Amino acid sequence: MENGFIILFGLTMLYLSATSRLIAHVKTIMVQGILLFLICATAFSHLPWYTIAFLTIETLLVKAILIPWFLNKVLKKTHSNRDTDANIAHFYCLLISSIILFGGFMLSVVEIPSLSMINPFCFGIALAVIIISLWLITIKHKILSNVIEFITMENGIFLLSLSVAKEMPMLVNIGVLLDVFIAIYILGLFVSQINTELGDMEVAHLSDLKDCEYND
Amino acid sequence: MISLVLLIPIVFCLIMFFAKNKTLNNFLINIYAILHLIGGLSYFYKPLQFFDVQYFSLNSSNIVFYLILSVVFLAVAVYNNGYSKNLKFSDKKLMHYATMLLIFVFSMTGGILSNNLGLAWIFIEGTTLASAYLIYFNKTKHSIEAAWKYVFICSIGIALAFVGIILLTVATGSLNSLNYVDLMNSAQSFNHFWLNVSFVFILFGLGTKMGLAPVHFWLPDAHSEAPSPISALLSATLLNCAFLVILNVYKVVIAANCFAYARIVLLVMGFLSLFITAVFLYHTNNYKRMLAYSSIENMGILAIGTALGGIAYYAVIIHLIGHSLIKASYFLTSGNILELFETKRIKSIRALGDVDKKTAWLWIASFLGICAFPPSMLFLSEFITVKAMLIQKHYILCILFLFLLTVILYAMAKVVIKMVFGEKSEEKFEIAKNNISKVTLSMYAPQIVLLTLAFVMGVYLPEFLDVIIRNTIVG
Repeated sequence: MENGFIILFGLTMLYLSATSRLIAHVKTIMVQGILLFLICATAFSHLPWYTIAFLTIETLLVKAILIPWFLNKVLKKTHSNRDTDANIAHFYCLLISSIILFGGFMLSVVEIPSLSMINPFCFGIALAVIIISLWLITIKHKILSNVIEFITMENGIFLLSLSVAKEMPMLVNIGVLLDVFIAIYILGLFVSQINTELGDMEVAHLSDLKDCEYND
Repeated sequence: MISLVLLIPIVFCLIMFFAKNKTLNNFLINIYAILHLIGGLSYFYKPLQFFDVQYFSLNSSNIVFYLILSVVFLAVAVYNNGYSKNLKFSDKKLMHYATMLLIFVFSMTGGILSNNLGLAWIFIEGTTLASAYLIYFNKTKHSIEAAWKYVFICSIGIALAFVGIILLTVATGSLNSLNYVDLMNSAQSFNHFWLNVSFVFILFGLGTKMGLAPVHFWLPDAHSEAPSPISALLSATLLNCAFLVILNVYKVVIAANCFAYARIVLLVMGFLSLFITAVFLYHTNNYKRMLAYSSIENMGILAIGTALGGIAYYAVIIHLIGHSLIKASYFLTSGNILELFETKRIKSIRALGDVDKKTAWLWIASFLGICAFPPSMLFLSEFITVKAMLIQKHYILCILFLFLLTVILYAMAKVVIKMVFGEKSEEKFEIAKNNISKVTLSMYAPQIVLLTLAFVMGVYLPEFLDVIIRNTIVG
């Protein structure tokens, strides 16, 4: 069953690549949060109960509720609706994401002896999600899109940490939580400030600092 | 003592939060800086008292980093006494500045003292949170751009470093710990493939924070837009924190006896950093950006020295100390110039020597120090690095190294000479003359002390320092 959730988690990245509506991106983040919660709840019975409790509660509260709520708030405040000016057309974007995801699936079926410590399926999808997120960051133009892709990358890393088939220290879980805190607090805060300061949410407007002559 | 060093800033932040008093803020920052240094010095008298906290320790491998942080922080705290008088902001905003400064130093201290890779990672991430506000402190269009780039690029870098840590746990096999000592002890049994992959992720991730090319893009923007005392801390201490973690992981890679690949990656990133600096220094028209590029260059030298190994390790630690002391002085002096001329444009600053002789001499001395002019500590370190290259028969690398350093020296010398001795523009000269009262004694004294230390230690290295440098390499 958990494999089904992991596949769905990977497929959400395709939806993210294909759509330009930012509200749909936020909803995808929410779906990813719920899927991660389900993966935590079903797949990792080998972990001690307190680790599972921490992981599930953290995932549900932060990833499925708090972050989407916060992003939604920023979205309303900044009146951003679409990110239409990506460097690549959505069709090609979807195509490349599909190829990367396919690569992730392939990685999970290849038998590598040194991969015995990890769940290969989880590992392959997680890597694909991280790579797709990083790639999307480079081609999107809106600052908010970049924040959303950063969060999906964090989700991918979270899945990667779950793929290691041994007890990850609680410390690492706290680390993930801190990362998420950065994502929603600092990035969210900065997005609002940038919107106030520049009146726009385009990454292109953040290119004033350079080495050649510019106004001080 | 460690508990105290880590608890005091939190208590002080609470006091500042409720008091919202400018004088009290400065007083508490100074007190913490002194206590921080005392904490470091007491290592030489009662080492055992430091092993009182489970996850933190002051040991032979991090004492040099801790002392550098203490000395630079003390210098910045003293400089800040004069600097903060010129800040025309509300008490609330100044309270935010002071509390974030303490949290920033607290995070760096935690990162240095952590004996656990996971915990060190958390503290390094904490430094991003605190310093982002400080970079954004002036709330201008440029500072928000710099802060955004800093937060975003570093967060991605740190996330990749976390992937590296996850892969390291795969490499460790049955070992269920991220403690450095445990990792070193079990290194022989690690899976070499995963260890190499994890090192690359950690190097690229934390290399972002350290400012190594090609993941350095945030650094010139953030260092140039932050207030000068913060730029000094960013360049002289924050980069070291990231380097310490990389060095600790590299030691594990060496202990596992699979460092050939890691060595190449370090060398490539090191030389790329020198190359990027040499190219970009020619085009920059902002003297704080020039200093930021110089930091990238020096981080590159650290990476090259680490990759070379052998006697170059000794050079790395000497370089680390020298760079931190001189670069802190350089950035603090750039703060004086900014106060005087109210601009960061190199072209607008001429005849610095006629405006303020002390600042001009500090600017020149810092330049000579950073360019490894004898008896600067950096001369010693770069000389040993070159010697290590020759011993290991890397002749082409040696020529490339010296060539890039010469290009960088020329680019910086051109700027510094024009700024100090160039023909003055009456308009800018008048502005600077009117601002001379803003630069008080506390804005000269720290640089004089830092530069004296850096030049004296280039000739005479006290025995205790020599011992801890050697222990840092071994530990």
